[in-house]
Amino acid sequence: MDVQTFTQVCVNALLLGGMYAVISVGLNLIFGVLKIINFAHGELIMLGMYSAYWLTTLYNLNPYISIPIVAMLLFLVGVAIERVLIKPILKAPEVNQLLTTAALILVLQNLALILWRADYRGVSVYVPTITLGSLYIPGTRLAAFVGGLITSLTLYYVLMKTDVGRRIRAVAQDPEIASVLGINVSVIQTLTFGLGALLTGIAGTLLIPIYMVNPMVGGTFGLIAWIIIVLGGLGSFVGALIGSFIIGFIEAFVGALISLEIARVVAFMIFIAILFIKPTGLFGEKARV
Amino acid sequence: MKSLKLNRIIPITLILLIGYLIPIIPLPPYIMHVFILVVMWAYLSTAWSILGGAAGQLSLGHAAFFGTGAYTTYFLTVWFGLPPLMNLLVSGLTASLLSVVIGYPCFRYGLRGVYFALATIAFTEIMKDLFIYLRELTGGSLGVWMPVLPEGITTLYFLGKEAYYYVITTLYVVLMIIINLMGRFREYLTAIREDEDVSASIGINVTRYKLLALMISSFFVGVGGAYYICYFRYINPYVAFGLDTSLQMVLIGIFGGMYSFWGPLIGSVILTPIGEYLRITLGGTYVGSHLLIYGLLLILIIRFLPKGIYSILESIYSKYLVRGG
Repeated sequence: MDVQTFTQVCVNALLLGGMYAVISVGLNLIFGVLKIINFAHGELIMLGMYSAYWLTTLYNLNPYISIPIVAMLLFLVGVAIERVLIKPILKAPEVNQLLTTAALILVLQNLALILWRADYRGVSVYVPTITLGSLYIPGTRLAAFVGGLITSLTLYYVLMKTDVGRRIRAVAQDPEIASVLGINVSVIQTLTFGLGALLTGIAGTLLIPIYMVNPMVGGTFGLIAWIIIVLGGLGSFVGALIGSFIIGFIEAFVGALISLEIARVVAFMIFIAILFIKPTGLFGEKARV
Repeated sequence: MKSLKLNRIIPITLILLIGYLIPIIPLPPYIMHVFILVVMWAYLSTAWSILGGAAGQLSLGHAAFFGTGAYTTYFLTVWFGLPPLMNLLVSGLTASLLSVVIGYPCFRYGLRGVYFALATIAFTEIMKDLFIYLRELTGGSLGVWMPVLPEGITTLYFLGKEAYYYVITTLYVVLMIIINLMGRFREYLTAIREDEDVSASIGINVTRYKLLALMISSFFVGVGGAYYICYFRYINPYVAFGLDTSLQMVLIGIFGGMYSFWGPLIGSVILTPIGEYLRITLGGTYVGSHLLIYGLLLILIIRFLPKGIYSILESIYSKYLVRGG
């Protein structure tokens, strides 16, 4: 690998990392912070991608402009899922949440399959590719990278500095104490789940100019999101950000040197190893539940 | 306890008889095919439930063992010309050995709940990607076809469906007998499911029993995978190591009742024909509708009937049959 290829792969890795940050940030909020298990995270991203696709195709809307609409749509979807499916089983064994959301994968995937068929659908947006000497930086990927960073930082700010953020963190730390302090725990849980889903809407919109969407696309994204938040340490936003870049670099380099399948294998192996050796993740402090 | 066992023997014998006698009725091949699928999924789901139900370790990656079983039989048959009937057994053993690779560290480091589920999914994905990558060896994403062999029990190649039905029914019976013989082992697993820490404190070797449950479970799932390729004659990595395959075992078990012997059979008897019917009638226009219905049913069952359909039958049984007599 010469210097030129090396720099190009580094750039690719950074861009990929930024994109993974936006994929995983919603899950980090729902599971990392609030400990609600959502296996259907990738399927929410899939819904976000379809929403952006249809807004672009039917109303000729630029995906980057449709971000607030898709985000609001997914927020509503998230609130509905939490209210109808998650809330009634919140006190049941953890396994029930896991299974319900695993069943939700089947429902959402196949609903999409029935409604929109198995075809791969994509939108083409013209974003200029930046050329720096011999380096190529595709504009759509740069947009996802920047979007990922902005989204992560905004969420960090909301959680740390705003009133709602403080309430969410209070519920995360101890729901009972939080309710004694006058926080409506149930509403905060619904809101947080909705917020997590909103973030998948942003992710889906940023992804649609890069990847084609089909009903099965969520599987890969969902698993990568889980890997990243476990790797980085549950609930740690800095950790998840670093985790995203670690996975980005692994995929870019192993993918360039050997093959994409082996890149995925290496990422999964590191994930399993982290589960064994340091289940709190690289940057997590809290004990495992 | 003795009367309870006698109580159990009568329905078991009855169900076995009915099961074995079905092919005597001349049924169209397609109906026979549905019967085969019903028993096959009951078998796979029962095997899964040894770990997932009895021991309460929610594996969402049993496709890893299913796929390993299927491909092992393919390799042994095509490369070495070994008889598929024997390969069935070797496939089970291979799957069982492989399960130690993921299971031992998982249990040794005490991975539970969602973390165990994630580790099993990731492991299955690794298998899938490796099988796609090593295309010279495995046929890659295009999959592999079993060769045409002389008809017979040693080759597990039959022209009629009836023989395939007898084979899977026999496998299911063997599995049920072995589960019934587990006795105290099952009680240990139940204790581990109810409370791992307490079980460890009263001297149950939690790691060892969980691993043993996984090895038995994956052995039978591996044999099931081997049967699958002998019957369907074709497999690819997306089916062999797919999340859908894992989830199907799980949800049939949960639907019927994963803590009971008969739960997975009940689940399969209800769900598999519904799935096949929807696939046939709506398959052309609405691909995937059967999985949509599966998913919805599963959500309802977990919410309103967490112990599955079996728990309804059980309460009817104890209300009208036991008290009445």
